[in-house]
Amino acid sequence: MLTNSKLRSWLTIIGIIIGIGAVIAIMAISEGAQVSLEASLGGLGADIMTITPGYSTASTRGGMRRLLESTSLDDEDQENLTKKDITVLKSIGNIKYVVGRVTESADIDYDGKSITRTVTGVETEDWHNIVIDELSQGRYLQKGDVNSVVIGDKLANEIFDGIELNRFIEIEGKQFKVIGILTEGSDIYMPIDRARDILEDVGDEEFDSINVQVSDPTMSEETMEEIIDRLMMLRGILKEDERDFTVTSMQDVQASINEMMETMTLFLSAIAAISLLVGAVGISNTMFTSVLEKTNEIGIMKAIGAKNKDIMRIFLFNSGMIGFVGGIGGVIVGSLAAMLIGGSSSGTASRGVTGSLLNSGAIITWELIVGAFLFSIIIGMIAGAIPAYRASRLKPVDALRYE
Amino acid sequence: MQQILNLDNVWKVYDMNRAGYLVVLKEIDIAVMQGEFIAITGPSGSGKSTMMNIVGALDIPSWGRVNLKGRDVSDMSESELAELRSKSIGFIFQKFNLIPTLTALQNVMLPMEFIDAPEREAKERAQKLLDMLGLGDRSHHKPGELSGGQQQRVAIARSLSNDPEIILADEPTGNLDSKTGSFVLEFLQKLNKEGKTIILITHDLELIKYATRIIHILDGKVEKDTGSKNIQRSFVKGGLKNEK
Ligand SMILES: Nc1ncnc2c1ncn2[C@@H]1O[C@H](COP(=O)(O)OP(=O)(O)O)[C@@H](O)[C@H]1O
Ligand SMILES: [Mg+2]
Repeated sequence: MLTNSKLRSWLTIIGIIIGIGAVIAIMAISEGAQVSLEASLGGLGADIMTITPGYSTASTRGGMRRLLESTSLDDEDQENLTKKDITVLKSIGNIKYVVGRVTESADIDYDGKSITRTVTGVETEDWHNIVIDELSQGRYLQKGDVNSVVIGDKLANEIFDGIELNRFIEIEGKQFKVIGILTEGSDIYMPIDRARDILEDVGDEEFDSINVQVSDPTMSEETMEEIIDRLMMLRGILKEDERDFTVTSMQDVQASINEMMETMTLFLSAIAAISLLVGAVGISNTMFTSVLEKTNEIGIMKAIGAKNKDIMRIFLFNSGMIGFVGGIGGVIVGSLAAMLIGGSSSGTASRGVTGSLLNSGAIITWELIVGAFLFSIIIGMIAGAIPAYRASRLKPVDALRYE
Repeated sequence: MQQILNLDNVWKVYDMNRAGYLVVLKEIDIAVMQGEFIAITGPSGSGKSTMMNIVGALDIPSWGRVNLKGRDVSDMSESELAELRSKSIGFIFQKFNLIPTLTALQNVMLPMEFIDAPEREAKERAQKLLDMLGLGDRSHHKPGELSGGQQQRVAIARSLSNDPEIILADEPTGNLDSKTGSFVLEFLQKLNKEGKTIILITHDLELIKYATRIIHILDGKVEKDTGSKNIQRSFVKGGLKNEK
């Protein structure tokens, strides 16, 4: 038989399950997203920096946007990155590779289908050393390639219906052989000289962006300072805020994505905290009701020798029990929810920034489970403390007379 | 014989706010010797239960002193009072007052748990007490599964679990038929013969024959007392026989 008080306890437990479950799910998913971000950014791009034309003081923190948009920056009127810049960059000690790039949108035709897409021309000599994207088939561009392109998997298989390796695609009316397919994305890379030939608006000696790779990533800060100093000197610019180029590092990008992630986690945690608070208030409420209902029993127990602390212990144990059971339920429900939303944690890290962060695999650690579980019990005890204290202080006669 | 309990000019007054003061007990002077079987009688509302609660250290007097086993109750801390209640006093109530969620055995064990008696000894003793009251086969039943008489016998077993010197029984037969009532009284008498001090509240004059001393309460005052200390006062006022 389910008595009223049992029913009430279970409803209270459900409140705690929801609160603890939400905490577990949010923590596990954000932990998973964090780890996968670090894997995709930290592992591969920490040593890459990008120099782009134009500079505004307001955009110094917007590194991520700048970097992500660096392939379509050709609207900038100051296309002032030149061979001279490349030469200067190559002379900096900690810089290993320098790759100039141009970008321009072009008409792509294949198998009767025609689209417009941004094409990136890269200096083939070192591009394969610096490129972050991985190949699924074929090879990267190399010195001597002329009418060759490397394209992203999405372009090959989603935008077009399956462009295979060694097929020819038409760009601005010229034929290009597909020599490599990247695991993701819809980019098109070709040798920079060919890009200058066939694309409009691309000046002969100019670059839309320059990528550099440093030898020692721990010296990135210093290297960035040196790049800025040397390029300013080259241009005869004396004041920092008059410079006409921007240097962005992948570390900046990672930092700003992390910051965004943390803000989001904080926001979601606040929601989870509120639901936990509601759960705790539920425990208090249930315990107050229980004290009221059991007033007569409290009187009986005091009459037969219960001390205040005995009564206190009984009620604290009860509310702790609600936290205990709610904690178990919350851990189960939260873990299931995290796995459902986040997917399992195996083998998804390489999907990277372009994959949905929420889907990058929940990570449920023992620390999280044990922590949430203990937290639940503690919440139960704290929420039950005032009712338990009230119960313990009841006067024996009054409690006995209570109907 | 040794004095075990002494009430010295005990008053109980309730402050009823607007309605003024309600004087429930006044000038109560009672000395109880070890081994007495006292019946406290009086009409409903005369203050018998209030007096019993004060004697049992469940309540405190508004004025006056209560001395239990040589110690002034008003000097004792909450936990000392709790210990006194568990070790020296056994309560038996009219409405049994068992914990409904516990079995008979667990109910009888409870007072022993409050003084941290070892679980196994507590269990053995509780079972022995239930056996003694003829409930050996009912030890795993909950109060709801027992008859009124059986519940009261569990309550008696519980009152004896820490082997107290004093048994306080407030209308223990009020909810029982006369046959079970007689059993309870005979059992109390047996305990009295074994040396326990019994204080029985009853308005059933049939039952005062078990007692060795009768105290009659009227409007919060001791009206008659066949006991030593107040004997003079009682008999001046007309003697016991006029009561019937
Ligand atoms: N907490 C209280 N507040 C106010 N009045 C009370 C309280 N407890 C008992 N009384 C009053 O004290 C009087 C005596 O009660 P009680 O001792 O229970 O009488 P008896 O047991 O003789 O029937 C009654 O009039 C009752 O209403
Ligand atoms: Mg009464």
